[in-house]
Amino acid sequence: MPNPSPASAPQPAPESFSPRHDALLPNAWLVARREFGERVRSRLFVVSTLLLGFLAVSVALTPLLVRVVDRGTTSTIAVVTTDDALAGRTISILDGILNGATSPGGAAAGSGAPPAYAFVHETDSTAITAAVASGRFDGALEEQRASDGRLDFRFVSGPSFGADRAQLVTVGALAVAILDWTATNNQGATAPFLMPSVDVVAATGPTAGGQPIGAAEFSSRRVVGVVFVVLIFITLVIYGMWVAAGVVAEKSSRVMELLISAASPAQLVVGKVVGIGLAGLVQYVGILVPALVTLLLEDRIAGAVLGAGGSLGVDLSVVTPALLAAYGGFWILGFVLYSLVYAAAGSLVSRAEDLQVLALPLSLVAIVGYLLAVGALSGGISTLTRVSSLVPFWSPFIMLTRLTVGQVEPLEVAAAYAFLVSAIALVGVLAVRVYSAGVLLYGQRPGLRAIVGAVVRPPV
Amino acid sequence: MSLVVDGLTKRFGRVSALDGLSMEAPGGQVMGFLGSNGAGKTTTMRVALGVLRADAGTIRWNGLDHRSLPRPTWGYLPEERGLYPKMRVLDQLVFFAGLQGVPADVATRRVREWLLRFRVPEFADRRAEELSKGNQQKVQFLAAVLHEPRVLLLDEPFTGLDPVNIVLLREAILELRDEGRTVILSTHQMETVEAMCESVTIVDRGRAMASGSLHEVKRRTTRRLIRLAVEGDHRLPWLRELAGVRILRPGIEQSEIELEPGVEPERILAAALAAGARVTRFELAEPSLEQVFIDLVGHPTELEATPLSPAAPATAAVA
Repeated sequence: MPNPSPASAPQPAPESFSPRHDALLPNAWLVARREFGERVRSRLFVVSTLLLGFLAVSVALTPLLVRVVDRGTTSTIAVVTTDDALAGRTISILDGILNGATSPGGAAAGSGAPPAYAFVHETDSTAITAAVASGRFDGALEEQRASDGRLDFRFVSGPSFGADRAQLVTVGALAVAILDWTATNNQGATAPFLMPSVDVVAATGPTAGGQPIGAAEFSSRRVVGVVFVVLIFITLVIYGMWVAAGVVAEKSSRVMELLISAASPAQLVVGKVVGIGLAGLVQYVGILVPALVTLLLEDRIAGAVLGAGGSLGVDLSVVTPALLAAYGGFWILGFVLYSLVYAAAGSLVSRAEDLQVLALPLSLVAIVGYLLAVGALSGGISTLTRVSSLVPFWSPFIMLTRLTVGQVEPLEVAAAYAFLVSAIALVGVLAVRVYSAGVLLYGQRPGLRAIVGAVVRPPV
Repeated sequence: MSLVVDGLTKRFGRVSALDGLSMEAPGGQVMGFLGSNGAGKTTTMRVALGVLRADAGTIRWNGLDHRSLPRPTWGYLPEERGLYPKMRVLDQLVFFAGLQGVPADVATRRVREWLLRFRVPEFADRRAEELSKGNQQKVQFLAAVLHEPRVLLLDEPFTGLDPVNIVLLREAILELRDEGRTVILSTHQMETVEAMCESVTIVDRGRAMASGSLHEVKRRTTRRLIRLAVEGDHRLPWLRELAGVRILRPGIEQSEIELEPGVEPERILAAALAAGARVTRFELAEPSLEQVFIDLVGHPTELEATPLSPAAPATAAVA
């Protein structure tokens, strides 16, 4: 006998009631506090902090390692002028300064080792920047004589040319100017000595509003940019996986059944993202501090390892408070965006093994952003870079790179932040819907249709 | 004061989990919620908790739609047991109570009182993974009651417990009932229902097959039951020749004999005398709840089971 009481036929659910509203607080905070405590007390947290700290310090030391490896190679510098005598004097002076500095006595001392720098005389300045950018020359010193006899110098620095060497070249240029003045006034003329202008530009890399950034500053910014981008990529992917793994663990241990009866999906998702995010932040500080200290000490280390003139010229004054604030903002917003996706993805599988299958496609989006950012670090700011730096899933990497190694219009930064916040709001709603349906799923992984169904019509 | 389920319907794709289920659980009582695996018991509970949305129908507590009730109205012990394995028992119980709005100091006091009552005060500082499954179940029961909910939804609370702990848990549930809480008790253990539940709902394939007081539900079958004890051969060989009679529960001291409709009890007595058996007990009894269940559903609770397995279609757990 079906349905004896109190009614016999299903009726549509009436809507004449005030639905329960589950405010995010305090439950989201309780969930966050539990997640934070569990993470920072775990052995995995301590071990991964040490490993990532080691990795960050290694990245920070990369320029120094490259310099150590390159010690045996010869860099070629073009001296570009139509004045043969001037070219001869310039090569002579630069040879003494650069080769003399790297190896006391230099090639002239007969040490047997090849000189660190070789010089060639070029007369055509039209394509010299392209020649340096392509790697044909490691640097090029252009010399032009003004109508009043003053010499103007422009040094085009290649990607492998250290900032400290560029400074030595500027010193050399001054010496060339003095020698030139002496040579042209040795007949008793009394023309006054005019200070030469020396401009140092990078052959590749960022252009701030069409103006190249100085090689020394660019070098420093690039080191900082590499450290920032590598760290943000690694931590976003790792902490995102923490979120997904946390959801899967709650499903596989079946504690989820209790959780979803005591808290709303939004409270659970937000709490998990915040709790793991805070744990990540703690770890992040633990990683970043030794990396920054390494950068601060890198010149001294380089001096000790490479001897006099081994300075890398890495100048941390480029790490301005504004840059750090932008970095912190992109890290937090990027983490929130990615971890929302990871939380939704984690809810769709029941076992930790299944999560491994999702790990690669989940990190692919971040990998694309990372690669574009690394490309921007060394290849300049293209239209693709400019556009992709506004895309929410990529802006934490690419806009950060642009901010680090170049100048960005404030409107572009504001737009990137606005798009990122909007994306978080949208992805947050979708993620909570997928999570609501996903945490009740046990068995096979749901197909795309089931996921779309959950998004369109959530179970609660 | 009562919990009223009216025309509850829920489908998962092509699977109908609830098909217009209606029932009423009187307030301040324990209601037995009986059904095979896959009958719709867990889905009903999940809809009540707000974890699932029904396609149609309503659940009302004291006349209020369940979707408007605060979460702490409900206390839920899920069928699938689960705790945070690495977390201390005290910490996680305080955490769960906190989600239901209980301050940490109050929750801590209640946890210690309950653990003492369950004779395991030392569990407070242990990790959940260090406890046996039965003890983890007791801990999870505490997670369901610490916030003192008005309605308790207990899904198979006795599974996996030893007899001593079954008694402890039964006493705890009845005490909560005496405090005025309403308990919905889903179980396959008919004896437990008969011992604890004032009312019963039998559900099959998402529909209520019977619902009412225990006595009313038992009267839904026309079968009759006789408890018989004889001196001599307790296997009652002479009974086999009688048509419409079946030994339901054979026993040494007494046996339960089921009579089909139309068979008069006196025929048993006459056959015993004719066989020379000396009858020491002859009692016309109410049919067991299990018999009622079999009559209404067509099979015992344990026989039909549709557990979710890795090969099952991806859908929400239907039970």
